[in-house]
This record gives sequence, structure tokens and C-alpha cells, in this order.
Amino acid sequence: MQDPLTDEKIAQMAAERLPASTPLGRIHRDTSDFFKVEYGDVAVLGRRAFLVGHNAKEGRFGVDDEVKHWVKRCIDLHDGSRKIVKLVFHEKFKASIANLSFDCFRSPKKEARILDLVADHGHFMHGYWVRDDAGNVVRIIDYIYGKTLHAMINELSLDHEIYYHERLPQILQKYIQCVEAIAFLHRHHEKHGDIRRDHILIDRETGHYRWIDFDFNYMHRENMFAYDLFGLGNIFMFIIGKGDVLLGDLKQGRPEVLDRLTQNDLNIVFHNRVANLKKVYPYICEPLNRISLHFSRGAEIFYQDTRQLLADLNEACHAFGQGDP
Amino acid sequence: MIQAFDRLIHHLLIAVDESENSRRAVSYVAKLLEGMPSFKVMLLHIINEPEEDFFADDGERERWMAEKQETAERVLDEAMTVLVGEGFEPERVFPLIKVRYCPSIAECILHEAEASQSETIVVGRKGVSHKEEFLFGSVSNRIVHEAKDCTVWVVE
Repeated sequence: MQDPLTDEKIAQMAAERLPASTPLGRIHRDTSDFFKVEYGDVAVLGRRAFLVGHNAKEGRFGVDDEVKHWVKRCIDLHDGSRKIVKLVFHEKFKASIANLSFDCFRSPKKEARILDLVADHGHFMHGYWVRDDAGNVVRIIDYIYGKTLHAMINELSLDHEIYYHERLPQILQKYIQCVEAIAFLHRHHEKHGDIRRDHILIDRETGHYRWIDFDFNYMHRENMFAYDLFGLGNIFMFIIGKGDVLLGDLKQGRPEVLDRLTQNDLNIVFHNRVANLKKVYPYICEPLNRISLHFSRGAEIFYQDTRQLLADLNEACHAFGQGDP
Repeated sequence: MIQAFDRLIHHLLIAVDESENSRRAVSYVAKLLEGMPSFKVMLLHIINEPEEDFFADDGERERWMAEKQETAERVLDEAMTVLVGEGFEPERVFPLIKVRYCPSIAECILHEAEASQSETIVVGRKGVSHKEEFLFGSVSNRIVHEAKDCTVWVVE
């Protein structure tokens, strides 16, 4: 039988990891009040103890990092591994996109279910979940070292045409793997819920693109996967365009392009972004551009599921590889 | 009250909720059929049950369910009144409230139509914008595309 995790034992283990000048804080077995779980404290979850570091932060495309008080950077005191510990935060709010609002909520149980589901899948973050003494579903996530897709693309200092020919083929292949991973979730009746380019981490060890953060949930209407598809479309246009192609930027740098654009060429939801990218970069092949047009204001048919998107992606990738126009 | 939807004459299912387009659908059927005795009508209201951790606790869930149940009963009462007002005998109108988690409302409606062997499904069309349909989907469009062995009336 395993030794019980007494406070004395925890203090001993923590002392090995804490700087000499930092005393051990409190020991939490009930994490309901996550604000009270602070730097230097220990959270006891299941049969393991975690030394709490700083709160995690999340940036939103140019906006300052927001502190996520319920997400703790931790060290597993048993093996020294870094973990992200996500405590339970019941948050419900109305999200609004292009004046359309819908009910959203954080769903620890959904994230826990998906962690179980993707335990052997290389394109998701990994981890496990336990209930603390108060029954909260706490998720313990393996740390992934690497940049976000958003950062990687933004940091490329390449001309678009060189990027398109030299870097995009590989990025596109990896993006397709990400879409396949989302298709895997959908086949299991789960949605990711918060598909964004900064929710794909590029694993430094394996090179795999990996989805993170599945605790976001929303009250879907008719198509429970439509919002995920919207996110996949935005990422697709981001990687094809090597960033968002914004009307404001074109006005400054390439005003002649604006004359070629119509309302139908814009992103169906974000009207300051161009979806018909071939009008900006004429060397983009037709099959790739057609996918982008499914997310434009001029689209007459939308993707209903990831299978349809994947079929077009594979076909477009083939044409792209063959150098078809 | 839920009653058996027996196998007599022509069975028609109207999917109702608290929206204006749903009221139009009920009103259309009422005025078109004027209580024709060869029709029986099921009024179906679906309460799409959220995932369990949509609610912070059981109390919140119970309040939410009670509110939805009350709305559903009111909507069904109103629809019943409209149909009876146009000549339907109350015993030929069957209100039904279904509480279930629906990945797709359209699929839930189609399931109930099949279970009740309805020959006709009536839905109102909300007239969603292009981007709204893109982001959320459209119940009436999906029913039109996926209905089998039945007629679909979409009331604008």
C-alpha cells in the first residue's frame, strides 16, 4: 500500500523544489476557490502532490496577456515534471461574433472526456483528470514545449510567394493532420469548441501540430460542429495568406488590389479580411482558393462537416503538389 | 399532457417553439386545414437539454428546466388554441414535450416524426442570415435535406 501523502511528507518533497528563501505555502485538497491556490502552495490531486507556480496567461492576437487564475503552472513533486493544472472555473457568458450572440460556458467535464478520448492521439495535448476532495474535475496536462502556429507564421520573414512555394506545402500537410484530428473528435460527438491558431502548439520534440484547450463549450444550434468548421476555415485562410489578409493593410501597401475585390470576396464573418486570396496572390492554385471561397460572403454552399473539408483539402493538396494552376 | 399518437388517418407533425416563425407555421396549418377531420396533429416542442456542466449546480439545472418546461407548456397551449379556434377537435391535437440532448434539433424532429409515423412535418423558417446559417446551421434546411418517406412543409 502506498504511503499516505501527509502534510509532513509534502513539506519534505516541496522543500526539495522550492528556493531556500521561499517557504511552503498552504496545502490544498479542495481547490474550489482557485484564487486561494497561490504560488508556493501545494495542490494534492489524486495520489500526487503538485507544487504551484505562476498562473497561466493567454494572449489574444495582439491584446495583452490575460491571467487565467484557474490555470496553474505546476511541478509534479513525485517526478519533477512540469504540468499545467486546470482547476474548475464555472464561467458562463454570451459570446458575440459579428453581432450574433450565443451562450458559452467552460466545461471541465468535456475537457476531461476529451483527454481520455485522445490519450493516444498525437495531435492533441495529453493529460489526465482527477477529482479533488470537493469533487472538482481537475485536469492535469503534460507541458508541451513549442510555439503556437500563430507565432510561427507571424515570425516568418519571407516574401509571400517564396513562402507559398517553399513552406506552405509542409504547413498544409500538418494543417490537414489537425483537421483530421478534429474530424476524430466529431466522429466521437465532441466539439473542440475554441478553434484558433493560437490553440495549435507545434511540439518542439516531434514537430507535430497539437490542439490544446478543449474546455470551452457553447450551446450549439442546428449544426453542433459549424463553429469548429468556422475556426478551421479561419486557420486555413491564415496559413494560405501567411497571416490575415486585411483590407486595411492592402489599402496601405497594395491599394490597386482593392479595385479587384468585391463584397463577395470577403470573409463571411469578418468583413475586414479577404477570403478570395487568389485576387491578392494570383499564383495561389484554384483548388486551394476554392476552399477559401467556402468561407467567403459569396459562398453558396458551406461545409457541413469535416469530411467535406478534408476531401477538398486532400484534392487541393494533390493539385498543389503537382503544380496545377 | 402526452398522449398516444394513434394510427388513424393522416398524421401531421408541427415542430413548435417560442419563435414567431413557429406561430406562423401553426397558424398556416390551422387556416389551411380548417379542422379537417381526416387529420391528426402532433405539436412537438423539444427542450434541448444542455450538457451537464452547463449548470453550476443541481439547483440551477432545476430552475432552468422548470423555466423551459413552463415556456413549452405555454407555447403548446397557444398552438392548441389556434388549431382548435380554426375547427380542430381538441382530441385530434396531441401536444408533446421532449426533453433530450440534441446534437441536431432537425434530427430530433425527424426521429419523432418517424416514431409517430407522421406523413407530414411542418416547420417555420426563421429566415436566418447567410452568416448565421454558416455559424449555426439551419433546422428547416436540414429537415428538407434529410427527411425520408414524408412530406415537409416549410412555412416562411
